[in-house]
Amino acid sequence: MRIGLVCPYRWDRPGGVQYHVRDLAETLRGLGHHVEVLTPAEHEESLPAEHVTFAGRTVPIPYNGSMASVQFGPISAARVRRWLREGHFDVVHVHDPAPPSIGLLVLIIAKGPIVATFHAATVRSKWLAVWGPVVRPWLERISGRIAVSDFARRLQVEHLGGDAVIIPNGVHVRVFAEGPELPGRARGAGGPTVGFLGRYDEPRKGLPVLLEAMRDVVRRHPTARLLIAGRGDPDGLRTAIGPELQPHVELLGELTEADKAAFLRSVDVYCAPNLLGESFGIILIEALAAGAPIVASDLDAFAAVLEDGEVGVLVRRGDARALAAALGELLADPDRRADLSARGREVAWGYDWSVVARQVLAVYETVVVPGSGAVTATDDDADVLAVSADDGPGHPPRRRRVRR
Amino acid sequence: MAPVWTIVALVVLGLLVAWTAWTLSRLRRLEGRVDRARTALETQLRRRAALAAEVAGRYATALEPERAARLTRAAAGARLPWTPDRELAENVLGRELRGLPRDVPGLEPALAADLAGTAQRVALARRFYNDAVRDTRELRGRRFARVLRLHARRPLPRYFDIDDSYGELAGTAGTGGS
Repeated sequence: MRIGLVCPYRWDRPGGVQYHVRDLAETLRGLGHHVEVLTPAEHEESLPAEHVTFAGRTVPIPYNGSMASVQFGPISAARVRRWLREGHFDVVHVHDPAPPSIGLLVLIIAKGPIVATFHAATVRSKWLAVWGPVVRPWLERISGRIAVSDFARRLQVEHLGGDAVIIPNGVHVRVFAEGPELPGRARGAGGPTVGFLGRYDEPRKGLPVLLEAMRDVVRRHPTARLLIAGRGDPDGLRTAIGPELQPHVELLGELTEADKAAFLRSVDVYCAPNLLGESFGIILIEALAAGAPIVASDLDAFAAVLEDGEVGVLVRRGDARALAAALGELLADPDRRADLSARGREVAWGYDWSVVARQVLAVYETVVVPGSGAVTATDDDADVLAVSADDGPGHPPRRRRVRR
Repeated sequence: MAPVWTIVALVVLGLLVAWTAWTLSRLRRLEGRVDRARTALETQLRRRAALAAEVAGRYATALEPERAARLTRAAAGARLPWTPDRELAENVLGRELRGLPRDVPGLEPALAADLAGTAQRVALARRFYNDAVRDTRELRGRRFARVLRLHARRPLPRYFDIDDSYGELAGTAGTGGS
């Protein structure tokens, strides 16, 4: 099958959607399909030499809680059109098509089976409530919609119209399941460790709650240590930690992908104290794959991944005392940790790319009706919309410019 | 004053014509999408019926004879045109298939995988079809579209409601027309 993937975010910036598209493309290629990617980037040179097409630069604006890449205009439209014409795709798969980006441009220009995945990081529904009706006419062209979580699906149903099937984010389970641990910090050796990973100065990640809980935890387990990995302002964090907790906290800074896996394999408990707004919680799947027992706050997305507490401990969000109790108990109970670890590894395989990509393929195969032909591009400017009700083949359709 | 009102009237008329044309093109495109989605769903349903008939025929002895006969009947029944009876027939077939024992002795793994894959694709195709139907009904139900009788002579596409409960992919409740 010839598949065209569209990533609306800059390829050379780290981001969940970019990784998702990259891994999906790789996995589908591994299954013997031809996959091309269209994406903007900051520097054209930073794109891989093959199978990735540069769609131009973007203007970042805040959208839906993160930075969307706005990209519109005749040059981008021409690039999209050329990519569609030269690709001869059986199906085009657009990621996050709602913001005004190349994803939306593809919807406007492409003709044929289109699949779209809605990632939706955080709720800023005010934005969506205004923007949704504007883009709806083009979202109508999507034949099959996918949401990565129940949360993303609800957002989509409420504001963008239409239902979606849920196919979760994928993880390369093997990368996390097998490999070395962080040097000198092997699981079970030395004092028990609690791991935290994320932008620690973002309040919604909930680190202050965890720090408060750790004060209780170290009273019960004097050798316990908290390992903090991720980006942020270390000085501000040291003030927040305070002198008495200082000996129990270690800052690891930003980790590479390989180190992140090693980190998750090393910690005795992984803690996700987030207060709000995770659409999916891919980090929990990665922790499960690495065999780390998890204590997480009871966000919907986390509860879904942890199967309502079957494969991890859920605590009320923002409740430092409950978090301290849960961490303390888990650190004192190696049998329960081993049990959670084993169950977690098993559950994680359900999110492996080999499984997830096949589900995505099933969607492609469903929307590609035999004999309906490949995806093509409409033959006029992007902001020109077909108006006449029945364009017969042969005579050029009447068209009219509609500014949006 | 007359020219001002003439201009206003012309602008309003112009906007109305533009909106009507735009809506007609949306409706036409949605019609195509509904047709394609229906073809896809029909393809998967026929495939499911064919596989069920094959299982019932080839493994009649491994299944209880009574069950095999029921399965054959259900598979044959699911060939009706697109009516509420069809939904009932597909439900009967779906129930029979879900009721199959976990491991039918001698059942080829390829055939079993085909059956599971088809069940998954039926669920997907039905969701996508109902999605297209919902978008169409929503647009046709708009006040202007009703007043101007856009596509009013064409039959309103029907939702296709069957119980295709199939594990994690099926998400939550199916249609819920709005």
